[in-house]
Amino acid sequence: MKRVGIVGAGGISRTHADRWSRMPGIDLAGFYDIVEDAALGAVQRSGGKVFSSLNELFDAVDYVDVCTPGTAHIGPVVAALEAGLPTVCEKPLANSVADCEQIVDAAERTGTPLFVAQVVRFFPQFAKAKQVLDSGAIGAPGVIRTVRSGSYPDAGSAWRKGLAITSYYADFAKSGGVLLDLSIHDIDYQRWCFGEIERVFARGMMFAGKEPKDHALLTMRFANGAVGHIEGSWAYPRGRSSTRIEIAGTGGIIEWDSRARQPVDIAIAQDDGSLASSSSSPTAPQHDPYYAELAHFVSCVEAEEPFLVTPYDGLMAVKVSRAAIESLETGRAVTIS
Amino acid sequence: MEIAESRSPESLPEVRVGMFSFAHMHAASYVHFLTQMEGVTLAGIYDDDYDRGGRIAAQFNVPYFRRSEGLLDQELDGAIICSENALHAPLVIQAAGRVRGILCEKPIATTASDGQAMIDRCRESGTKLQIAFPMRFSPPVMELKSQVESGVLGEIYSIKTTNHGSMPGRWFVDAKLAGGGAVIDHTVHVVDLIRWIWGTEVVEVYAEVGRELLHPGLGIDDVGLLSFQLANGIFGTLDTSWSRPPSYPTWGDVKIDVLGENGLICIDAFEQNLHVSSDEAGKTSDVNWGSNGDEGLVADFVAMIREGREPSVDGEDGLRALEVALAAYESAERAEPVKL
Repeated sequence: MKRVGIVGAGGISRTHADRWSRMPGIDLAGFYDIVEDAALGAVQRSGGKVFSSLNELFDAVDYVDVCTPGTAHIGPVVAALEAGLPTVCEKPLANSVADCEQIVDAAERTGTPLFVAQVVRFFPQFAKAKQVLDSGAIGAPGVIRTVRSGSYPDAGSAWRKGLAITSYYADFAKSGGVLLDLSIHDIDYQRWCFGEIERVFARGMMFAGKEPKDHALLTMRFANGAVGHIEGSWAYPRGRSSTRIEIAGTGGIIEWDSRARQPVDIAIAQDDGSLASSSSSPTAPQHDPYYAELAHFVSCVEAEEPFLVTPYDGLMAVKVSRAAIESLETGRAVTIS
Repeated sequence: MEIAESRSPESLPEVRVGMFSFAHMHAASYVHFLTQMEGVTLAGIYDDDYDRGGRIAAQFNVPYFRRSEGLLDQELDGAIICSENALHAPLVIQAAGRVRGILCEKPIATTASDGQAMIDRCRESGTKLQIAFPMRFSPPVMELKSQVESGVLGEIYSIKTTNHGSMPGRWFVDAKLAGGGAVIDHTVHVVDLIRWIWGTEVVEVYAEVGRELLHPGLGIDDVGLLSFQLANGIFGTLDTSWSRPPSYPTWGDVKIDVLGENGLICIDAFEQNLHVSSDEAGKTSDVNWGSNGDEGLVADFVAMIREGREPSVDGEDGLRALEVALAAYESAERAEPVKL
């Protein structure tokens, strides 16, 4: 039985705790959060104990899962690596390139496994699209477009409203807005598909004073000559979120749209005469992407195999996100160094 | 990309499984998931087709057996049988008593008497007989079952279903080996799902069966429209036709529309797709990314052996579904509904 300790008790922490709780061979030891009440709430929901310090948590666990906001990754991640504890770090690896570089250095120096939770690589439709691309079915890479758009992440569910993280997202100086918090998923995915990114140009609302709304459109050029487009949004009308993949090559194209027909469609008449309709796309529990990424972490650590996402991948995704923000500020294309 | 399986804390007791024939293409999928499971050993492959068996055995680096007896001598815990339909019976009867569990491809057999003999022989010998109905492990189907059980629809009136396919060719169109064409091939999946979801039986079936309607010269039925009455009062239809041409984006479907007093629930078990247009293929294809029911089926089979429990889908389930297909052929002959 391996014990996992979670640092940070906000939104993604809850998602990870749920997955750890149902993973065979894993004991969720508990939580540490600088806000002790938050850790207590997490323990009441998910079990384990409240740790009063990072060191107390490190002493009690085999693996560390850092789910703090990106500005607060460097401390616990570097400490966990120095303690020799294999570590999961929620994306983005950190909010600044400098922090990311220090974390990558710490991972290299200590040789401790560090997995960056770029979860989109574990979404089955995204993983399958990469597999089809790699099979050569659409020829050589040409244009990749992805969309990740929804409303501001404050009230997806009531419990979230009171969390500090909710205002954190709206503080773009900290969260980096959609470009760093949301579109980093697509930057990492597109880089995974098409290789290194040479330059990026962005337009968006990050500095338009519309917080918490944000919306950005990125264009990218890859080292292999291919191009990419990303839409990321916290400005869509609530209930009209959209995720899309389109990968075009010299011999074909791959498309997926979250808004296409779903495998389960339910329409039930209500007593007041209205219609309650819903649709869903269920998958087996082990294919849940959050479960799959954490199971991947455990299985790679145990087998001493490399992760699908390396610390360097985490660093590069942040570099490109930061370059996109710089492009917004300067109005110029930014070359990735 | 392979997604890592979860690991169990203690190492699991080894389960040795032999694959008996790759005549049915589902065998490749079963063996794929089998070899990914912890504590499962693929002990060898028997196939009466030397080239096919030898090639697949080499691919998985396991021994190839030209005779089923040779593979049965390998101290197997489980046997997976994916031969031509008519050869299920001799293989199951031969393996009964030699292994703890058998997973037999659907349909159970080509005749009810063969099916009954398989069930009897397995029961006498203490071998558990499971029939391969992977659609029970499809997440959209499982969601439908849970919705139906919640009672949200109120009284249920009717079920409209399809299990379309592409014309598979090979032995599937040889009446001696397959027992029939599209009707026997595609009746049993959906009938099994209906029996499982509602815990009921088909009591009457009427069928219009079409021979060579879509594939001139095929020599066997390629179209089937079944109209059925269930013991619980629900009526419905099932389209089993091999009506998906090579230019179609996908092989076929499993769709179930359930209408009740409060509303409608529609599922399309294979509607989790990337649309892949390929110049080489000359068409747009659906590439499914949903959870494959075969994974759950094979895991359930191995768990049955390990736990020594009864099969979740047993020989009787296989036989009841086969009887509906056979009754459909009889109905089509007589142009009358047939009682079961």
